[in-house]
Amino acid sequence: MFLIVSFLSQLAGNLIFTQALGTSTVFISAKNKRSFMGVAFIICIFTTFGSMGAYFADRLLNGYFENFRLFAYVLITGIIYLSSLFILWCISKRLYGRLKKYIHISSFNCAVMGTLYMISENPENTNISDYLLYGLQSGLGFIIASVFVATAYKRLNCAKVPSSFRGMPAMLVYLGIISMAVWTLK
Amino acid sequence: MKSMKNRITDGLLRDNTVLSAGMIISPAIICTTSFRDSLALVYAFSVITFFADIIAYLIPKKLPYAVRVIWTSAISSLLYVPVRELTMMIYPESVERIGIYFPLIAVNSLIVYQTQHRFLNLDFRELLGNLVFYILGFDIVVLVCGALRELIAYGTVNNKVMNISMTVSGAGLPFGGFIILGIICGIYRKIRSLLSSGED
Repeated sequence: MFLIVSFLSQLAGNLIFTQALGTSTVFISAKNKRSFMGVAFIICIFTTFGSMGAYFADRLLNGYFENFRLFAYVLITGIIYLSSLFILWCISKRLYGRLKKYIHISSFNCAVMGTLYMISENPENTNISDYLLYGLQSGLGFIIASVFVATAYKRLNCAKVPSSFRGMPAMLVYLGIISMAVWTLK
Repeated sequence: MKSMKNRITDGLLRDNTVLSAGMIISPAIICTTSFRDSLALVYAFSVITFFADIIAYLIPKKLPYAVRVIWTSAISSLLYVPVRELTMMIYPESVERIGIYFPLIAVNSLIVYQTQHRFLNLDFRELLGNLVFYILGFDIVVLVCGALRELIAYGTVNNKVMNISMTVSGAGLPFGGFIILGIICGIYRKIRSLLSSGED
């Protein structure tokens, strides 16, 4: 029961279904199974570590220089971006060659930046563990949404779908229908 | 000459930023609940993207890809500061309604990735032409989407009451945005295929 409730709450607060954040990224990554899992997990890492950075940035800005919050978040994401590339390069050059494209796609996008903003805007997030949990939840929500999109990708790209609606238009309508169902959960 | 002209106008027709390339979909879905909000979005997007891409063009090409991406994002996030203030003067309520999506416009994929993949290889005049049409491509889609959703959801366009008998409030919600954008995308593809078969 707990798992079902957790799953439903993940859906209800989902980045893609309720906020449309990261829709473009999920469309790019859904094209094959390997890339969608890679991108989804790396985005989860970015939202989790980014949320910790956002906590310190929010404390530092402390309500002042509000307009520079985006700049601070860009710097945080930039640091995570470069660090992840460097760590991967140190671990294995072959792995770096294979995975770097997923890191490039996952760094600066609406899913990551939007999560940092959403955490910051939520008054319930007061300490670093709240930020971290929210970041992790958002990342997991993105993984769930990616699974939904990736499973439907093949069918929405098949010859049975009219050529004008094949691919992205059908995926948007499909996401709209899931989003409608998720809306009722809210 | 014709192919060069086609290449420059690609962003508007053949390779539309939203409908074909699938970029910047989130704001196009969430923030286009009314024509006025769409105008605010278009204003901020156009100004930030135009200047950020021009400044990003000056970043040395020798730098690694990741560093160039970070530089470009940092430039656009700094440009966001004055643009937000100016937009607040013209569309204060829209900026409030758009909320977190407003800053996200400054780190859109047209600035962050398209600059690196497409614009950097062009000469400056070509860059300007391409950029204008890519921006126009987004602007037109967002304005059409905003007008259509406002009409369907509230029976108004830019707060002017239209003579329609039925409204569907769901069009103003995120799922309505997904579905309407999907339909617009399908119609665009049909028109594009008709035009390209006509050219052949």
